Amino acid sequence: MNCHVRNMVCLSQRSQAKFRIIILILILIAVELVHPTMPCKHENCSQVLHRSLKLTKSMAKRSAEILETYKTSQGDSADLICDMQMDNVPVSTISGQTMSERILSVYTHLKEFLPHMKTVMEQQKDLNPPTNLVVEGLHSMITHVHHIALRVNCILQILQPNIPIPEPAERPTGIPPAQNIFQQKAYGCIVLSRLQELLSQAVQEQKSLKGKLCRKRNKDQFLMN
Amino acid sequence: MDTSHHLLLLLMLLHYEAGFSHNCLKILPDSNSRIALEVGKNFTATCHLLEGSAHTSDDIEWTMRDIPIPKQFYHKINETAVSVTVNISSDMRGWLRCKAKESQPDCYIYGISLHPGYPPLKPTNLSCIAVQEGEDISPNLNCSWDSGSRNPLFDTTYNVFAYITILNKTYTGDCKQHHLDRYCVVNLERFPHHVRLKVWVEVKNVLGSERSEQLENYSEYFVKPNPPLNIQVLTEDNFSTSLMVTWEPPIQEYVLTLSYAIRYRKASSDVWVEVAESLTKGYTFRLQSLEPYTQYVVQIRCIGENHSGYWSNWSAGVTGHASEDKPASAPDLWRIIRSTSNNRNVTLVWKAPVKANGKILGYYLNICHDYVMIESRNITADNRLMYLMKLPPGKNASIELTAYNSVGASPKATLFIPRSGEDLPGVKNMSWSVRDEKLQVQWTSLPVGLRLSEYLLEWVTVPQLQAGWQRVSSKVHNTTLNGDLKKFQRYNISVYPIYKYQQAGRPVTRPAYVQQGIPEKGPNVTQTKSKKNSAELTWNEIPLERQRGFITNYTIFYAIGSTKQWKSVTVNPNVQSYLLMDLASETDYVVNIMASTVAGSVKGIDYNFKTLKYGDGEVEVIVVVVCLSFLFLTVFIIMFCLRKREVIKKLLWPQVPDPSDSSIAHWSPDFPIKADVPKEDVSMVEVDVFDGKSLCEEDKAELPLKKDKYLSEEHSSGIGGSSCTSSPRHSISDSDSGDSGQTSASTLQYSSVVAGAHKGQTPSHQPLAFARSESTQPLLDSEEHPEHLSESSGQSRSLYMRRGREPELGVLGQDSSGASLTFSPVQEEETPVAEDLPASALSYIPQQNSYRPQ
Repeated sequence: MNCHVRNMVCLSQRSQAKFRIIILILILIAVELVHPTMPCKHENCSQVLHRSLKLTKSMAKRSAEILETYKTSQGDSADLICDMQMDNVPVSTISGQTMSERILSVYTHLKEFLPHMKTVMEQQKDLNPPTNLVVEGLHSMITHVHHIALRVNCILQILQPNIPIPEPAERPTGIPPAQNIFQQKAYGCIVLSRLQELLSQAVQEQKSLKGKLCRKRNKDQFLMN
Repeated sequence: MDTSHHLLLLLMLLHYEAGFSHNCLKILPDSNSRIALEVGKNFTATCHLLEGSAHTSDDIEWTMRDIPIPKQFYHKINETAVSVTVNISSDMRGWLRCKAKESQPDCYIYGISLHPGYPPLKPTNLSCIAVQEGEDISPNLNCSWDSGSRNPLFDTTYNVFAYITILNKTYTGDCKQHHLDRYCVVNLERFPHHVRLKVWVEVKNVLGSERSEQLENYSEYFVKPNPPLNIQVLTEDNFSTSLMVTWEPPIQEYVLTLSYAIRYRKASSDVWVEVAESLTKGYTFRLQSLEPYTQYVVQIRCIGENHSGYWSNWSAGVTGHASEDKPASAPDLWRIIRSTSNNRNVTLVWKAPVKANGKILGYYLNICHDYVMIESRNITADNRLMYLMKLPPGKNASIELTAYNSVGASPKATLFIPRSGEDLPGVKNMSWSVRDEKLQVQWTSLPVGLRLSEYLLEWVTVPQLQAGWQRVSSKVHNTTLNGDLKKFQRYNISVYPIYKYQQAGRPVTRPAYVQQGIPEKGPNVTQTKSKKNSAELTWNEIPLERQRGFITNYTIFYAIGSTKQWKSVTVNPNVQSYLLMDLASETDYVVNIMASTVAGSVKGIDYNFKTLKYGDGEVEVIVVVVCLSFLFLTVFIIMFCLRKREVIKKLLWPQVPDPSDSSIAHWSPDFPIKADVPKEDVSMVEVDVFDGKSLCEEDKAELPLKKDKYLSEEHSSGIGGSSCTSSPRHSISDSDSGDSGQTSASTLQYSSVVAGAHKGQTPSHQPLAFARSESTQPLLDSEEHPEHLSESSGQSRSLYMRRGREPELGVLGQDSSGASLTFSPVQEEETPVAEDLPASALSYIPQQNSYRPQ
């Protein structure tokens, strides 16, 4: 009897241990599934922030150069057209109160700018020879802004590892296809201007994370352990 | 591998069992294509006899490329199957066949094609580079690796994979290259920045696949930028030891942050000096601790910061020139002294300062004799770097020399020349050798304590006397001359110890060559002194500039001209003449001289000479012998004549009978010969034809002593008896005639009438006399017949007188010019008859001969 009881207890304990292991495995699988991108785990926190900041900095300068090139290619009225108001272009203002919210705002805006950049590039291909510096620059910028967005995504994962990062909807730019040349020029200039502003702010936001992000991460990891 | 073979074997067996084949034989494994096999592994094939075959397994034979496989490799499975196991080697590419003996024609053989090879090796040393392209980095990732040197013998494919982690995307470079190629390009569409990349290479062939180690790093580590741009090297006027270098980055810093490296070298050198520090801030750098007034070449390269990625190539060299400074070292001052009888010609020579630090404009030269300044000069650098001065032997000299450029003057170079004979000791055991076409000089160090400061080695070309020199430390006792010494040129190498105050000690000098060669031309014979059996050859020394080496010896080749059978004699190099012996007399010889150095020999021009017929003194000996022989012969004849004179006299002059002994006539001394004898002085001359004693006995006594005199006077005075006739004692011979007649019975005495005497003589004391002949010979016809005397005697006497008169003319002429001829009356009478002299003169020849003994 005792033995039976003991056996039952033993069996009960064994099954509980197995259950815990299974639960742990499931949790790990769930965590891994929640992680939207695998690549971030190959780098430590400081590397992610450092590389992201450097890339954002370089692209901010690059965007300023492209904007300058763009303005030069538009003639004397470039400053005028760049100051025009255009509602369909995303703003460069970073919103949010917390660190995570502001980084998320950066991420969202970057994602939003990508289709506009592609549109401007296509328009510029039609307006100017397809191999002009603006087109070349925009082509490169699109890739690198995409990379920045991925980097910022990694930062967000560090900031809030357990919260899924909302992806902005892949929607059209909202720019009517029947823009005339002047409108295209104005649109392109506004997109590039705001992109440059956005990248500059992104640099600032990331700089503000220095000394905070990775310490927090380390603390979290320490607490988890 | 074995598993796959077994699987293949099983499939083949199923295929065979399904009955798709109609062959009598079948090999498993079977394949429509070549069967790939790994070299070194065992391979087993089984030959099956199909159903219905009349053979057994014992009838099966295996061949590999038509060569039978030994039976020991067979394994009989059953009566219808035999397997064979072979170890695959790389040369087994071909058909493996099994054959049934005496099989039916259509099914007795079956084969499979084997293809041995190797599986791919694991690629190693993978590296990938993305080069700069314009303002960005090229998206093409150029990867290379080491695939090993083993040929897999199969078509092998390589694939390079690049995985961008943040994009979770893999790019592939399908290389489609040959098995030994190890280069491939992966296009990344756009080069990513600040993202991690993983790169690896996979290799595959029919025998397997391998994957290299992963190359994982940030994208910057794959970048190779271009060299920096617009490099400038700027001279800084007030800093003669520095140069400012500026440049521009090859790529925007926000794209790629770079570190820079700088290296520089002197334009005249190939040795680079790399700046140790890694330059990241700014695009300028000041090169310091440079040499003034020196041209430098600067290059820069760059790499991703923190040395990530690959170094760019070095930029093209940019040249810069450091500014001038005053000379940092003294000129190298030296002297060449040539002593004359009463002075020393000193040539001061110098080299510009090694550290001139600028363009040397000139030199200040100060000369002191016995510590008193006597000369100060400013010599511009345009002139030759030398100065000539005279220095008396009894004075010393101190020389100071400084060089100057636009910035300032150099330190002083000093030199002290002591008085003659006050030289300090020199080195010992100086020698030289050649090493690597350089002259290496060794010497014995001077003892410590002589305040030696250094050694100076001087080389002077011979015979041009162009000097070069170099200085070495006093601790050195062998060194290599660093001058541009030419081959085949003779140099006089000297080692001078240099003492304190730059006073040179006695030099030790040796001639030397960097490399010896064959003389340019051989020596030519310039002179010969031929003799009967020898000849002395003389040749000139080859000029020093044509010797091209040390003459080790001269070889004299000589041969008789027509035979060309050469003989040779070798003589020392210091010999310039040689006596060839044992030559044939009166023979033409050809001779040439060969000069030899250690490098070889060269012959001079052929020279011809002829030996003499007679030797020295031979002619003289012959002449002497002939003369002596003649002399002896003469003496012998004379002696013979003297001894045999009687015989000879008798032979030549038969004895004439003495008329006095004749019985026909009697001599009367008182009877005048002729009544009308002229009253002039007549001298009687007694002529003894054969007996020399008859005349001038005194003179004859002196004959040996006065022989020469007589001989010399023989012609000048005519008849020698003229002097004697002047003697009164001889003028009348009657007193002596008796003696003469007594001494020689054969004496034939004739009477001669001498008309008168010399004008200076006293004719009064000389009475007329008659010389009476005492001859015993019979009288001549005229005597015997006096009636004929008037006719014939007149003729004969006149002839006699004429012979006596001719010399008298000379004598008289000399003695008294004014005197009348002694025989003039007679002569006047006989003058017409004298025209018949040849007819009657023969009768007086004995009389003429009678004077010879005188």
